[in-house]
Amino acid sequence: MAAEGSSGGGRKTTLPHNPRERGAAKFLTGLPSRGNFSSSSLSSNLGGLRVYVCEHDTNPPEGQVIETDTTNILIRHLQLKKKESEAKDAGSRTQGESGKAKRCAARSLGVQKSSKKPKLGSSSGLPSSEEAISGFSQHTLQSFTVERLRALLRQRGLTTKGKKDELITRLREAQS
Amino acid sequence: MSTWNYVVTAHKPTSVSHSCVGNFTGPHQLNLIVAKCTRIEIHLLTPQGLQPMLDVPIYGRIATIELFRPHNEAQDFLFIATERYKFCVLQWDAEKSELLTRSMGDVSDRIGRPTDNGQIGIIDPDCRLIGLHLYDGLFKVIPFDNKGQLKEAFNIRLEELQVLDIKFLYGCLRPTIVVLYQDNKDARHVKTYEVALKEKDFVEGPWSQNNLDNGAGLLIPVPAPLGGVIIIGEETIVYCNANSTFRAIPIKQSITRAYGRVDPDGSRYLLGDNSGILHLLVLTQERERVTGLKIEHLGETSVASSISYLDNGVVYVGSRFGDSQLVKLNLQPDATGSFVEILERYVNLGPIVDFCVVDLDRQGQGQVVTCSGAFKDGSIRVVRNGIGINEQASVELQGIKGLWSLKSSFSDLYDMYLVVSFISETRFLAMNMEDELEEIEIEGFDAQIQTLFCQNAINDLLIQVTANSVRLVSCTSRELVDQWNAPEGFSVNVASANASQVLLATGGGHLVYLEIRDAKLVEVKHAQLEHEISCVDLNPVGENPQYSSLAAIGMWTDISVSIFSLPDLELIRKENLGGEIVPRSVLMCTLEGISYLLCALGDGHLFSFLLNASTGELTDRKKVSLGTQPISLRTFSSKGTTHVFASSDRPTVIYSSNKKLLYSNVNLKEVNHMCPFNTAAFPDSLAIAKEGELSIGTIDDIQKLHIRTIPLNEQARRICHQEQSRTLAFCSFKYTQNSMEESEAHFIRLMDHQTFEFLSTHPLDQYECGCSMISCSFSDDNNFYYCVGTAYVLPEENEPTKGRILVFAVEDGRLQLIVEKETKGAVYSLNAFNGKLLAAINQKIQLYKWMTREDGSHELQSECGHHGHILALYTQTRGDFIVVGDLMKSISLLVYKHEESAIEELARDYNANWMTAVEMIDDDIYVGAENSYNLFTVRKNSDAATDEERGRLEVVGEYHLGEFVNRFRHGSLVMRLPDSEMGQIPTVIFGTINGVIGIIASLPHDHYVFLEKLQATLVKFIKGVGSLSHEQWRSFHNDKKTSEARNFLDGDLIESFLDLNRSKMEEVAKAMAVPVEELSKRVEELTRLH
Repeated sequence: MAAEGSSGGGRKTTLPHNPRERGAAKFLTGLPSRGNFSSSSLSSNLGGLRVYVCEHDTNPPEGQVIETDTTNILIRHLQLKKKESEAKDAGSRTQGESGKAKRCAARSLGVQKSSKKPKLGSSSGLPSSEEAISGFSQHTLQSFTVERLRALLRQRGLTTKGKKDELITRLREAQS
Repeated sequence: MSTWNYVVTAHKPTSVSHSCVGNFTGPHQLNLIVAKCTRIEIHLLTPQGLQPMLDVPIYGRIATIELFRPHNEAQDFLFIATERYKFCVLQWDAEKSELLTRSMGDVSDRIGRPTDNGQIGIIDPDCRLIGLHLYDGLFKVIPFDNKGQLKEAFNIRLEELQVLDIKFLYGCLRPTIVVLYQDNKDARHVKTYEVALKEKDFVEGPWSQNNLDNGAGLLIPVPAPLGGVIIIGEETIVYCNANSTFRAIPIKQSITRAYGRVDPDGSRYLLGDNSGILHLLVLTQERERVTGLKIEHLGETSVASSISYLDNGVVYVGSRFGDSQLVKLNLQPDATGSFVEILERYVNLGPIVDFCVVDLDRQGQGQVVTCSGAFKDGSIRVVRNGIGINEQASVELQGIKGLWSLKSSFSDLYDMYLVVSFISETRFLAMNMEDELEEIEIEGFDAQIQTLFCQNAINDLLIQVTANSVRLVSCTSRELVDQWNAPEGFSVNVASANASQVLLATGGGHLVYLEIRDAKLVEVKHAQLEHEISCVDLNPVGENPQYSSLAAIGMWTDISVSIFSLPDLELIRKENLGGEIVPRSVLMCTLEGISYLLCALGDGHLFSFLLNASTGELTDRKKVSLGTQPISLRTFSSKGTTHVFASSDRPTVIYSSNKKLLYSNVNLKEVNHMCPFNTAAFPDSLAIAKEGELSIGTIDDIQKLHIRTIPLNEQARRICHQEQSRTLAFCSFKYTQNSMEESEAHFIRLMDHQTFEFLSTHPLDQYECGCSMISCSFSDDNNFYYCVGTAYVLPEENEPTKGRILVFAVEDGRLQLIVEKETKGAVYSLNAFNGKLLAAINQKIQLYKWMTREDGSHELQSECGHHGHILALYTQTRGDFIVVGDLMKSISLLVYKHEESAIEELARDYNANWMTAVEMIDDDIYVGAENSYNLFTVRKNSDAATDEERGRLEVVGEYHLGEFVNRFRHGSLVMRLPDSEMGQIPTVIFGTINGVIGIIASLPHDHYVFLEKLQATLVKFIKGVGSLSHEQWRSFHNDKKTSEARNFLDGDLIESFLDLNRSKMEEVAKAMAVPVEELSKRVEELTRLH
């Protein structure tokens, strides 16, 4: 592109008129080509369009007749949640104390993803990855319900009283 | 009674909704795939240009198509979703040339509100899932497993209700969509979501962007490594990505309709806007980061609905509103500053807003004149069945008995001489240096006698056959080289020759076979047949183009055609033709690689046989009627393809398409003789001898329908023909956009019905637009008038409250306003009715009398009316009966009572159909089209026992056409031959938004029952592409109900019987318990309806 740009620039000196057109010419160089339409005389009559008559069996291979999961979105959500908590319960029974940490990790599935944002954003210069796993960004916390914030505070053994903003500040303080 | 209807497409959809490019038919073949409503077309990109491959009918209206490449596959698959919530994934099997179904399914939900902004179907660039947005608030996901197979689909709740566009982002770890939506304050935003396949849910995405351009409507995802998305607005173009890079440029206000990516890395895009301007959008970049946007004006194309960059600067521009185009982007601008060069235009009739059926050539054959295209691409199109000959030159010459063209040497490409034979002389014409025809002499030829045959022969010789001799003349010296004389007492009656052979028939059934050896005529064989010979042919169909091993001979008395072997003149096969009419012309020819024997009779009938070129066997006998007079057959070639010309009172071109013989009539009245005359000055021309005239003309492209375009640069909305003034009138409007404001100007225009020259224009008032137009006369007045109904469409009104009826007379080729009558609403429809004028004005039907005042001027006087409609949009009349198509109350039937001078309702259909067109098939059966693309017929129950039943129009037929019909008209596109059974069948023509012209034919009951059985049988043999079901496709379907198609037959399916190969045809015939010949004959007869 750079080379093409300079050749366009070269033209600038020879063609001082119509700056707009010259600009387009500059950008039209190096159009992709894979060898088609290369003949000097393009033919407009390369045969007719055959009408396709499908005489063979068109059924898709087994299992490829796709249907929609008919479970209601809400019920699916609840089932997933239930499954999750069952898995958690099973985990906590075997591992005892560590269950708490696990729950935290499981809950923060969404956290992992949201943690990408500061990483990608890179402008905010937010905490290292270790903290990010257990910590929430200000934005994420804002999107949580008060109930959820209270649950998080409870997990950390902090008081659950106050307005949403206060809860968030408290959580942030606890994280940092 | 004609409840039984047969629906068939005469002109396939041509409006292009989608197109895409990829390696579909092979890993190294690049294809362009074009979606045209219910069909997809597959083209191959070659160094020589775009090569058409396949036209695939789809049992559904295509909502989206997309090419994608699953992991570990060498070529692309095609994903198609239809508007009725079916989808399929197709794969091309190059070995068998078949489309295989990889998967298919139904993606409908039982509840859900269909989206307002169209269905969206997208595929993750990393092929992890297919995303569909079909219902508001739901995003459907069809995941791929790691083998590339599809798994069960599921829905995810999408919070954004007014979605404008959704695209997948490139280069994301998890599949990520970007959603462009409008909130309830009409502000537009984009938002991203990651699709968590395991949890079957959305996860908030990496970024979002609020408060975009109010006209933002299109998203372009940019491939990795740049990533991100371009948001196209009406005033700005914005680029943003996950790294919160944000670039924007202002653009001149326009609505971008389509985009096409130029470079695989996504650094350049083509944008097409609603006024047909093509722009180039460039992302300038530095180290894989976008540093800025640039937009450049390239030139003008049709208003694009899809843009596909093909290769080497060539771009396919698909259009809904005008012709689709193949354009080349040039590096340097042309004189007008445009970088766009149009290489080719693909005719598009859509949207057909209105049309009329006229017989301009007075041949007894209808032509359809349509209002096609929209906005700047608006045009009038003249659609005619048959092939046009464009006369280049003509001279008066009486009594031509034969015509042949000769080249000046055997190896010449072009013809030089034209031999014209008369009853007692022969004249020779040649092209001179000024490319004019002048009379010359060829010394060696006998000019004092009628010529029977002429031909260029090997060794640079010319052959002339006359009644008493065969002469060989040198091309160079033009002197006689050798001569064969007919035996004493015999004269040559008919003769044929090719480059090295001559076959003569003399009286008494004698057959003489000569060969040219070393520039000498050698009599090789003589035979005597039992009857007189009526015609012979020696046209080579075998491998050697200069020598034929077969001769075809037609005979008097026993009315037969025979194939003889050469050189020994042994009879191979004799076919008795039956009847009493003598064969007048035989011809052996090869079309599309298949050899045929054609044999034409003296009464305009033509037999065709498949001819085995090596054994001389004749199979697959077929008989058609082309005219009523003797036919003479001749081959000619156009654009390198051989066709046959049948000269008679109804000249016909016989050509082959899809390895089937097709017959297309020619726009000439009567042709006695024809010969190809391919000269350097007039390449691919024909010399045609008519009564008293010899003309040279070129022939149109050989295709069934011939379309002539009259560009308007504005959109025509209503059209009407007036035979008496030899004019066509139409209402049109021009949309102009100044820098500050947009305005519409409406006109009534008049043009000549032969030359299509504009004669006169009557501008309408501001805000006034033409709604309806007819040509009619009134009682006690023999003049014919154009009546135009208008409406004042004021910006502040929801429904027009004022309109006018304007009556024009055509005087000296100008529109003269005679009468004007104000109405209290839009005049949606006008009809001539018992010498009066029937108007549909908003919710009212109103009848006007034509009154002559004392001073001789006229006025329209209101006589009576009928209320009771929501909006009476369409009316048709027959006798005293009026059929009304309502905006949303289906069809009702009114009657005019003369004694009481009142209009009353007789019956109505109580279904809530939103009508788009109505027509009366006959007194009792009415056909309607509604806005869910269905057709239905209703019947008047005049014999019913109770008032209640009589007051109801019974729905007797239902059918899903899959096309939005704008107009029905009685008429036919083909000439009706009185002797054929099909000649008696009434037909209605319809025109649709996608450019389809179709025919509804009302069949006799026994015929219908037979074809219904055939259709049911064919469904078992011809499968729906992508496993889509024919039965479901043709079932009547709207918001309220779905019911099986009844009393309508799918002619497109039935006629595809003729495209089957022979063995399948036989299987079908066996299942039908009908001989295959009879079955093909009956289906072929149907094809002659359109």
